[in-house]
Amino acid sequence: MIYRYGVPAVSTLIAFLVTVWLDLSVFPTPLFFAAIVASTWYGGALSGLLATVLATLTLDFYFIPATQPMVKAALNLLQFSFPALLTLWFVKKRREAESSLRASRDKLEVKVQERTSELWLEIAEREKAEATVRQTQAQLAHANRVMTMGELATSIAHEVNQPLASVVTSASACLRWLDAQKLDEARRSASRAMEEGHRASAIIGRIRALTKKVPPQKDWIDTNETINDVMALARSEIQRNGVALETELSEHVPLILADRVQLQQVILNLVMNAIEAMSGLGKGPRELLIRSGTDESKHVAISVQDSGPGIDPENLDHLFEAFYTTKPHGLGMGLAISRSIIEAHGGRLWASANTPRGAVFQFVLPGGSEKLPDGTGQTGIRR
Amino acid sequence: MEPDKLVFVVDDDAPLRDSLADLLRSIGLRVETLASAREFLQCERPEVPSCLVLDVRLKGLSGLDLQKHLLEADIEIPIIFITGHGDIPMAVQAMKAGAVEFLRKPFRDQDLLDAVQQALERDRKTREQRAELSAVRARFDSLTPREREVMQLVAAGLLNKQVAAELGTSEASVKVHRQHVMEKLGADSLAELVRMADKLGLSASK
Repeated sequence: MIYRYGVPAVSTLIAFLVTVWLDLSVFPTPLFFAAIVASTWYGGALSGLLATVLATLTLDFYFIPATQPMVKAALNLLQFSFPALLTLWFVKKRREAESSLRASRDKLEVKVQERTSELWLEIAEREKAEATVRQTQAQLAHANRVMTMGELATSIAHEVNQPLASVVTSASACLRWLDAQKLDEARRSASRAMEEGHRASAIIGRIRALTKKVPPQKDWIDTNETINDVMALARSEIQRNGVALETELSEHVPLILADRVQLQQVILNLVMNAIEAMSGLGKGPRELLIRSGTDESKHVAISVQDSGPGIDPENLDHLFEAFYTTKPHGLGMGLAISRSIIEAHGGRLWASANTPRGAVFQFVLPGGSEKLPDGTGQTGIRR
Repeated sequence: MEPDKLVFVVDDDAPLRDSLADLLRSIGLRVETLASAREFLQCERPEVPSCLVLDVRLKGLSGLDLQKHLLEADIEIPIIFITGHGDIPMAVQAMKAGAVEFLRKPFRDQDLLDAVQQALERDRKTREQRAELSAVRARFDSLTPREREVMQLVAAGLLNKQVAAELGTSEASVKVHRQHVMEKLGADSLAELVRMADKLGLSASK
């Protein structure tokens, strides 16, 4: 309040004093203009108006000679006050524009600050979420592995019982041969019991390797060996579903630096998917083809090909998404995990249609320079 | 060695198949090993008491499928099932269809040997009965139509007089026919004659 009235009063007084001091009585208006501009700028339109009135009165009182005729004096004052009011109006507009600009700039600054702090929060949250996802994915990977094991348990029980039954039977045959003093026969039975014991222990070893929850351990591994390991586990599942298995394993596959168990898991997952896809078929051949080899860029390439119903082109994009499944009891994690494993090894996993029917899942992994000393590859048809 | 008895072992697991054969041979049985149901259906089966040791889970035709197939084809052979993971419904199905035993791997050797002996004994009896029946039938076929009528009525419990009235003939001629029937069938008593008529299913067609 004081400011609003003080500024015009003080500025007009200064203008008056300076004008008097410099004896500018011939052309006294400029400093009063300045007072009006200053009042309007700092005090607003009302202050400007007050300054104009004060200035006009001052000018009339001190600088217009009393001798002048009334009309001339009035014109002189009008000559001052009209431009003064015009100036006041412009200054006011300018001042308003400036302050609104400043206000929006301030607002913007506040907004930027708010947004920045929000972003920091979001980043922190996202990092936390990502960590949770990674952890969950690791847990799910384990759960998935355990579940696949559950599906396989029946088949594995059969697989282990087979050599065990053979051990027991051979050993009792051996005892009977011994009773009958038939040493050659007894020896043969005993050595069969031993071999079958080793067979059982090898199967159990493979299962243990598959169920262990260990951090990735990368070794130089032979892809063909890994495929054969998985096939040994899936063998009775393949038989049970009446699937004809064919393997085309190239002899010249370079070793790859990979986690053996994870790689087994990926192959097993693809094989189980293929078997499951074909088990729904009423008629038509059930053919599973597993290939290993190298691509143009010397990467190790492995493909699992089935003669099932194939993949709906609409689903092709979603296949590898987590929780996406076309199976009634599927978790939708198998392929998502498989892809993340392959990508973690610097490779790629993708699906395409097989001709004339079915699907092909294949992946490539960068191979090392080391070659196998001798080919362990094999080609054959097993049923 | 008991060459007059034969055990078939059908299992797709070669080492287990060999062990089973080894065990059975160690007690002197003749053994034939086969890898699939199809091989069993195609192999030659001599006319001696035999039985089948059969794995439930086989490539192609399963053990239970084979059992069904044999029943439908009227091929009689006692079956002992062995399985790696037999569930109860599976065992019930097998036993209902006439299996001798359902053994889980790994089983006690004595259980298998007992089951095999029991199966062989069962098959021996079945074969004996079948042979007996065909002998009786052959003898029955040698009777004249009138003798068959007389036999049927006598076996049904009628007296000679009643038989004569039924057939509209004399009691004396019934006596003669009856005498011939007894001689031709080799029956020593009326009781034996009734048993034979039973076997031939005559009482039902009265």
